[in-house]
Amino acid sequence: MDLGPFETDNSVSCRLASQIPDVCKTEDCCLGIDEAGRGPVLGPMVYGICFCPVSKKQQLKDSKVADSKTLSEAEREKLFQNLDEAKSYVGWAVQILSPNTISTSMLQRTKYNLNALSHDTAIGLVQFALDSGVQLKEVYVDTVGPADKYEAKLSQLFPGIEVTVRPKADSLFPVVSAASICAKVARDRVVKGWNFAEDMGEVDTDYGSGYPNDPKTKAWLLKCLDPVFGYPQFVRFSWSTAQTLMDSKAVTVHWDDDEEDGEKAAQRQHNKSMLSYFSASAGGKDQNPSHQTHRFLTERRLKSLCTL
Amino acid sequence: MLVVSLLSSDSVLDAKKQDSDPAFVRLRNPTTDEASLYMLGAGDAQMYEVKAFEEDFHSWFVGQTVQRDGRLLFVTPMDPLFLILPYLIKAGKEGKFQPVDQIVMDEEFPVCSRLLSCTRSLASLHHIAEEKEVGSLKFHRYSQEKTMNWLKKKVERTVVALKKKNISVGEGVKSTTYIRVKSESEYHEEDYLRYAHGLISEYISEDLSKALLKHLQLPELTSPKETEPPSKKRKLSGNAVEAEEDYTKFNSADFARKPPKKMTAAQKTLAKVDKTGMKTMSSFFSPKGKTEKK
Repeated sequence: MDLGPFETDNSVSCRLASQIPDVCKTEDCCLGIDEAGRGPVLGPMVYGICFCPVSKKQQLKDSKVADSKTLSEAEREKLFQNLDEAKSYVGWAVQILSPNTISTSMLQRTKYNLNALSHDTAIGLVQFALDSGVQLKEVYVDTVGPADKYEAKLSQLFPGIEVTVRPKADSLFPVVSAASICAKVARDRVVKGWNFAEDMGEVDTDYGSGYPNDPKTKAWLLKCLDPVFGYPQFVRFSWSTAQTLMDSKAVTVHWDDDEEDGEKAAQRQHNKSMLSYFSASAGGKDQNPSHQTHRFLTERRLKSLCTL
Repeated sequence: MLVVSLLSSDSVLDAKKQDSDPAFVRLRNPTTDEASLYMLGAGDAQMYEVKAFEEDFHSWFVGQTVQRDGRLLFVTPMDPLFLILPYLIKAGKEGKFQPVDQIVMDEEFPVCSRLLSCTRSLASLHHIAEEKEVGSLKFHRYSQEKTMNWLKKKVERTVVALKKKNISVGEGVKSTTYIRVKSESEYHEEDYLRYAHGLISEYISEDLSKALLKHLQLPELTSPKETEPPSKKRKLSGNAVEAEEDYTKFNSADFARKPPKKMTAAQKTLAKVDKTGMKTMSSFFSPKGKTEKK
């Protein structure tokens, strides 16, 4: 797996893929989807797909791929090696969603939540396989959110393909296990060799597992917090772990789509209370009742000053 | 905050040949009669007004620092006569010719005497005041007529600038990205005059602004606030309230359906609606097949 394309710019989403085995373009195929790194506050979330001809299912099972969580890192690397060597009939692809992509998606003006991002990434990978000429007949997915809804969504998007969404699919279907290994290996490698775009100064890179409950991760988050900028792009800003720390330790930043209490926000924006429209002396309570600044100035947000 | 100065070649900061440095000063604002910030150029040669661009949720990154305040300060040239004018008007009420350095005096803002050092000040005083020379001394007296003509010229020059800069003077809000089908030329001359008058009024007192409006022969607009009906409840008169409409017609023989006695006004108007061809509400809830006879 060559991580080069991602490492040249680790602030965006990036897809890496194996060669498409010729046999996958002629025979009916099955495809598994799984993800790695959904929970951690650090590093990317990686989506993996793995596909092979339906006829080779048993062969894949015999290669002893298993749920990536039950394996050690070394075992996963070994199994990925096996998969890569079985390139005559097994193909794979991964989509690396950088932590920056996750942060900016979840924190943008129109919120794009992690589930939607996950679904769209999975759909994108299935479409990629179809576009590459893989004869997909069966798709197996480990669920994100309610399984039946997700299954209905995928079935509708890909008519003619039998979609199976199951919790724990990674331990039920070998092709999903294989996908989970691809995803996990990609994530491990990316996290291990993360190229910080920021000048981290004295801060070490011993950040532990990256999960919010890891004391090492928490300690690292505290250490690398910048009062103005917050965190390097390696950190998912949208995670409450990061947000809570920034709220308490960093400078407060106000955005114009911040949610504020109605009354308070209205007052700050110099809006009138609804009630004022019904009372007898509506209006006329500006600071300087005799003079109303001309709209040339108010439209351009220009004001006179009395002190510097 | 950042300071942007939109200055000509005689830069404010060109202090080398001048005897005093440019400085921010507080002077009496002719419109509000309160303190506002201005700037006097090097050697007090030129007057500048200071305006701040200020909008919520803005900050600056300046070099390696962050500026919390996202304000942008504009220092732009200004005619010192606008600031001298209120002092002349005040002194003019006495009706005497006076030396100008006695007129432009303010205990609250002693800096105001420096306004007279500006290159344009003394040379252009004749626009707003009558002059008398006695020997080597000059005396001035405020002239409303001269001032009106001077302000009118200002308005006319502002109109020219507004047209040149393509500034929307109509009632509607114009977006720079929105392409208008109708051309700007549809604005009436009066729109431009009113807009320019409004802008000039940012530099003169309210009384003067009203007088100028008359001088420009523009009728005063009544604000919608004044035309609003009183929000208080109408007082009840002693007389008995009589119905404005004859509701008894509903009870007459030629009115097909007799409405029940107690109906609200809204129900009555509804009852008057032509219902031919309409289904009754209950038909939508009754079992299928049972269609209304109507």
